[in-house]
Amino acid sequence: MTVKDKELQNEAGPTTAETPPAEPSAAEARPAALDHSAIVFRWDLDKTYLRTEFESFRKMVRIPFEAATDKVHLPGVPELIRALRRSAGERGVQPYVFFLSASPPQIGNAIREKLRLDGVDYEGIIFKDQLRNLIRGKWRSLREQVGYKLGELLASRLGGPAAGREVLFGDDWESDPLIYSLYADVLAGAISPELIGELLLLLDVERGQIARITSAATELGRSPTNVVERIYINLERRTPPKSFHVFGPRLVPAFNYFQTGASLYEAGLLDEAALPEIASALVEQAGYSAGRLRNSLDDLVRRGHLRTATRASIARILGHSGLVPRGRREVTLRARIAAFLERQRRRWLRVQPAELGPAIDYRSVILGWEARR
Amino acid sequence: MPRIAVDAMGGDFAPEETVRAVAQVSLESDIEIVLVGNADRIQALLDGGPYNPELISVRHCSSAIGMAEDPRDALRAKRDASITVAARMVAAGEADAMVSAGNTGACVLAAAKHFKLIKGVRKAALASVFPRHTEYAGQDVLALLLDVGATIRCDALELAQFAVMGSAYARRISKIPSPHVGLLNMGAEETKGGEVLIDANRRLRGLPQIDFIGNIEGNDVATGKADVIVTEGLVGNIVLKLIEGIGEVAMDIASQAARESWRYRLGLLMLSTGIARMRELADYRTYGGAPVLGFENLCIKAHGRSNAPAIRNAIKVAAKAVRDRITTDIAEAVAQIR
Repeated sequence: MTVKDKELQNEAGPTTAETPPAEPSAAEARPAALDHSAIVFRWDLDKTYLRTEFESFRKMVRIPFEAATDKVHLPGVPELIRALRRSAGERGVQPYVFFLSASPPQIGNAIREKLRLDGVDYEGIIFKDQLRNLIRGKWRSLREQVGYKLGELLASRLGGPAAGREVLFGDDWESDPLIYSLYADVLAGAISPELIGELLLLLDVERGQIARITSAATELGRSPTNVVERIYINLERRTPPKSFHVFGPRLVPAFNYFQTGASLYEAGLLDEAALPEIASALVEQAGYSAGRLRNSLDDLVRRGHLRTATRASIARILGHSGLVPRGRREVTLRARIAAFLERQRRRWLRVQPAELGPAIDYRSVILGWEARR
Repeated sequence: MPRIAVDAMGGDFAPEETVRAVAQVSLESDIEIVLVGNADRIQALLDGGPYNPELISVRHCSSAIGMAEDPRDALRAKRDASITVAARMVAAGEADAMVSAGNTGACVLAAAKHFKLIKGVRKAALASVFPRHTEYAGQDVLALLLDVGATIRCDALELAQFAVMGSAYARRISKIPSPHVGLLNMGAEETKGGEVLIDANRRLRGLPQIDFIGNIEGNDVATGKADVIVTEGLVGNIVLKLIEGIGEVAMDIASQAARESWRYRLGLLMLSTGIARMRELADYRTYGGAPVLGFENLCIKAHGRSNAPAIRNAIKVAAKAVRDRITTDIAEAVAQIR
């Protein structure tokens, strides 16, 4: 597959606020039909794909000098992305993988090489042009995340090749949960361009960025589509899962990529072979034991992100591949019937548009978010 | 890695403090923990703080035994109580040891019901650590007293077995190569005490695997003379409560004095670092719980008023005891005195 790199220059837009185009009227805003022939997977890079260490200044200055072989991915991520592409292909769906990073394009070569070494194909990768921000003296833009990422996501959706469903992957270090939720709700038409502008002002985003975002939101608002299936947040910092309840059931906080894989398997986005591949990566690269894999599954069930029947089905798959000993729970008649029914359900599963939970009160979310930061 | 069953519902501050302790342990060690209790409440508490789910599993059970309940009646009535389920899990090999801050009687009875006594051991003993004066540099600031309540009366052989079990435990956990073992009595002479204590003294003197220093009197309990003090449960329990009581009274007197006069307040201020050290020593939260010794499986009983740091220490002691194969050590030591 040809890899088309896209390095955007992060045009922050004019520094003075532009008047956003008029909001589409109710008659104009017609829900668009969901395109089931394509699916977009959007990935953050640092702390989501790569184990980047920028906790200290010393570690941060080392990053630009790292070669591809110095960069370390989180256990199970390359396996997960490869499996997502394969599973989509098997269902006759065209997969698109995009990376969105806040790192400068100067480290792009090392990252592209790392992805090549990991065998990860992708359709686009966007870096933040920090050098330009530096030259223009835009100090605030150096650290600002929400405006930059939301703007790029919306631009990518507008100008991208696919109009399919989306699954987003981020982490708990910066503002991914907030950015992704805003993005999903803008696409779904749950947030008006006016409201997004107001929220971005609350977040102290540059006025140029706000204009760019509200303009894209207006454009996308003409045919609102509930396209974001799930948002996965990698709990790299072990942030308490309760902190993410405010974002509703669409957002799944996951402690490792086996949990993410299990949830994607339940959503019908991964095939059966994917789970042993991800689990093996965790065993080989991070020393996971059968007990740790089981505990990860049970945790997801207890948090309400995985059904008990799916858990049984996954345990059976891992049991067959010898990754976990087959427990009594998996071989009882009841468990076997449940696993059979689950297989039938998956066979006829037509992935539905993501359910919109109760509306997110973004104003209070942002106030809480800012207070925590 | 050790797998510890923790009674999530036992203790004055359960399940909040217990779950907090387990979450903390999961982030700083490789100890696998099974939280036994109400799964919904446990998960709600886990969700509220950082934890590592890979090292925590939850075994749901519907009931718990209260601190004030009669242990025998409660165990009979509540077969699905968290303390019983934890003990059953350990007995079935699903966990290597159990930790509970719950009802002490129920904890000992549940262990007695589900665990097998080590071959040759006649009675299990509840051991407790307490702060004492140290006599030489590097001596552990905590001594071990057993039994403190698992038994009422004991014969000489049982006391000898307690000495061997306590010595094996202190060797591993307190890292004392050859712990000094003393028999609590009313006089230092070998002929003091009743028939049982005289016979116990004779037996202990004949045991080469322990460093028996002879009888010790009540005033030696808090000195650094003995690292392991052996007594029957009735006396041991009284001694333990007396030590706890004296500490509390001393603190009360000091604070009362401080309220009455500024001179006392000034004096206490000057002694503040020493008082803080005393408080730290007398703080049961730093001990890591009391082991029930004599069973093939290990049970650590944490103080009923334990907070998260105390339970965290108890879990770490249990894991260390499992890693160091304490029960095997005890079995080998006891086999030599038969």
